[in-house]
Amino acid sequence: MFRNRKMLIIMSFILLFSLLSIGSASGKILFNSTIQQGDGYQINNYVIDVTEVFTSQDAVTLRIYKGESDNDDYVYDPFLSVDSSYEFDIEDEDVEITLIDVYSGVVPQVKLLITVSDDDFINSKTEGIVDGGHSEAVFSGTPVLKISKSVDKNTVGVGDIVRVTVTVENTGDDDAEDVIFSDPFQPKFILIDDILGTPGRMDIASDDPTKKVYLYDLKATEAGTFSLSPATASFSNSVGESFPQASSNSPTVLVEASKDLVTADLDVDLEFDSYTVNRKDEIEATVRIKNLGSASANAVNIGILIPEGLEYAGGDSVIEVISGEPTIYLDSFGAQQEKEINFKLKVMEIGTYTIKTESSYLFDDGVNTQKQEVSSDSVSNAIYVAEGEYDYLFEQPIYVYLIPLIIIGAVAGWIIHRHKQYKF
Amino acid sequence: MLNILIIGNGQCGNRILDAINRESFGKKSRFAKFYSQQKYKSNVQTIAINTAINDLKEMSFTKAKDRIHIPHLHGVGANRNVGKNVFEENKSHIMRQIQERGDFDVCFVLTSASGGTGSSFSPMLIKELKEKGDYPVYAVVVLPFREEGTLYLQNAAFCLRDIRESGVDGIILADNQFLKQMGGNVESAYNGINDMIARRLLFLLDALDSEMMMVTDLGDFKTVMSGGAGIATIGFYEADTGMPVKNAIREALSPSGLLFSTDVYKEASRSMVIIRGDRESLSIDEISEEVEKLSSSVGHVFKGIVVRKDEHPQVLAVLTLESASELENLYAIAVDAINYERQKKERVETQKDVDRAFSQIDGLDPSY
Repeated sequence: MFRNRKMLIIMSFILLFSLLSIGSASGKILFNSTIQQGDGYQINNYVIDVTEVFTSQDAVTLRIYKGESDNDDYVYDPFLSVDSSYEFDIEDEDVEITLIDVYSGVVPQVKLLITVSDDDFINSKTEGIVDGGHSEAVFSGTPVLKISKSVDKNTVGVGDIVRVTVTVENTGDDDAEDVIFSDPFQPKFILIDDILGTPGRMDIASDDPTKKVYLYDLKATEAGTFSLSPATASFSNSVGESFPQASSNSPTVLVEASKDLVTADLDVDLEFDSYTVNRKDEIEATVRIKNLGSASANAVNIGILIPEGLEYAGGDSVIEVISGEPTIYLDSFGAQQEKEINFKLKVMEIGTYTIKTESSYLFDDGVNTQKQEVSSDSVSNAIYVAEGEYDYLFEQPIYVYLIPLIIIGAVAGWIIHRHKQYKF
Repeated sequence: MLNILIIGNGQCGNRILDAINRESFGKKSRFAKFYSQQKYKSNVQTIAINTAINDLKEMSFTKAKDRIHIPHLHGVGANRNVGKNVFEENKSHIMRQIQERGDFDVCFVLTSASGGTGSSFSPMLIKELKEKGDYPVYAVVVLPFREEGTLYLQNAAFCLRDIRESGVDGIILADNQFLKQMGGNVESAYNGINDMIARRLLFLLDALDSEMMMVTDLGDFKTVMSGGAGIATIGFYEADTGMPVKNAIREALSPSGLLFSTDVYKEASRSMVIIRGDRESLSIDEISEEVEKLSSSVGHVFKGIVVRKDEHPQVLAVLTLESASELENLYAIAVDAINYERQKKERVETQKDVDRAFSQIDGLDPSY
């Protein structure tokens, strides 16, 4: 008796272990609950409808639909008895349905155990019980936005207008919702006319025709080959699932230098009448300004940076000394105009000097609305300053100066004394 | 060392005094006073007196303290009477200035005989000096050009007489009329005469205070000057290179070397001959020969020899005159001038032509 009881317990454990082994063979449990007849269970685009429950036979008829389908357009229709299973695959993953039990009532119910080999592929937004079955299920898709950026001319001149058109088309199987477009500022171009304006948030259905989202005119300001920056769009699908940003192509525009573009090109040159001088000498400096360009220069400002050891000793009236720095200011300087401005420098110390000029001016290039500003520097040739003719006089010992001064003072005193003696 | 006072009166006296001071610097440059010293051997004090301040200002080589201005407009206008009054009024001031300089061994008063201040001040000044001092006073008097005018001629005549009567110890004459033979313009002629007088006086002063090979001194000079008619002149000559000293002596005694026209061999009374030069050029025989020749006519000749190395022979002769025909000529002309001036004055007083002209409108009034 005792032996039989022990055998019974062992057999029970073996049975329980076997059952557990059977249950876990299908993988992860996706659903283990009751579903009413007429309802379904959705896994991504598949809906498992509980079509008819046979309570008397402890069986059920299931129909498995893929996507939006008519009632008769199911993929599978397994008939399951309690404890029997049906297995099919979704996106290469195994799905097993086991009928656990059937329940009678006004609306019969079944208890189903649904397991999958791996649930990574399952979209949580399209998974769960669907009241009313497959006809009421909402299926998710992948909207694909194809954004096209085009230009009306691929080759233009500086100052010419390029019309840019950006279109979008949803080539996916789902609507694109909450689409937000972005088209960055285009360097080297000026936005002349934004015809459509900035598009707001929008939805683009998969069956919508191609839609224009941007239409604007750009003015080329500089010669060169430029790839227009791509327009981008962020969006989500019909179930609110966000997708990676979509980008347009980058059309290339060749901008050729236009005849209408003009520039001012000032050449500032500083020359001296002598580059080897003695201390205390004066040198005559000439600033030669030439406009090599085809446009007038305005607000021409040339600062003459005089190093220590040299001293500005006057010059033409157009030179003003501002904060100790001689500065040439010309309100306007015509194209191809030349001018010479003279000034003098006094050499105070021995050494080698170069003089830097800092030039800046504005000009209207005929294309841009704002004047162009140009700055440049130039450096003169070196000036070599040697010892002055009488410098040796200042290098003698003090008595060399003192003795003559005393003598001169004595002579002067004597002359004054004599003059007073004889002045009547 | 002798203490010598030289007073220059009036414009002419001032200029001769300034020339003496300039010559004493030994340089011809106008700036000599600034770099040189006066080379008087003696203690020489110089005083310039004038009523015309401009004349005093023109002096360049006389110290300011030695110039005495007697304020009276700008001179006395060649009127000796005015000048005498001005001197009288300022006599004490002038004498105080002189006495402050100390005591002297000899005094020379330089003046023109014809001008205003000099001709009027000098006789009275000499008289004062003689009264206040105990030293001989000699007047160096410059006579005018004869054509300078009647006023100057009559001034010269009276001045010379007044000086002679002032107690002066001797008068050394220099005659512009005689010296104008130097030629040149008026200014250079005056300057040349002044320089001649200055150079002779300086030579004399130097000789009186020098050590001599053969001695002549102030005493000899006094003796010479006291001889004759109290009137003297000076002859001078500087020989060129190689000229024998006897020739230099002859030239000094000739009209070209004298300050006043005279024939020394006929009119001189006493004489002093001073010869200076390098020992090699001073031939005693030649000197003796010429001195003996002069003494045979004059009577007594004081002879002095000063040896100076590397100097050409220079001869100075001081000659007092017992007669002066040229002076007589001057006085004859001066008398004519005085008479002319007197007649002119009388004519103006008696005829009163101008008064008659004015009298024609007596009692009348202008009508408009």
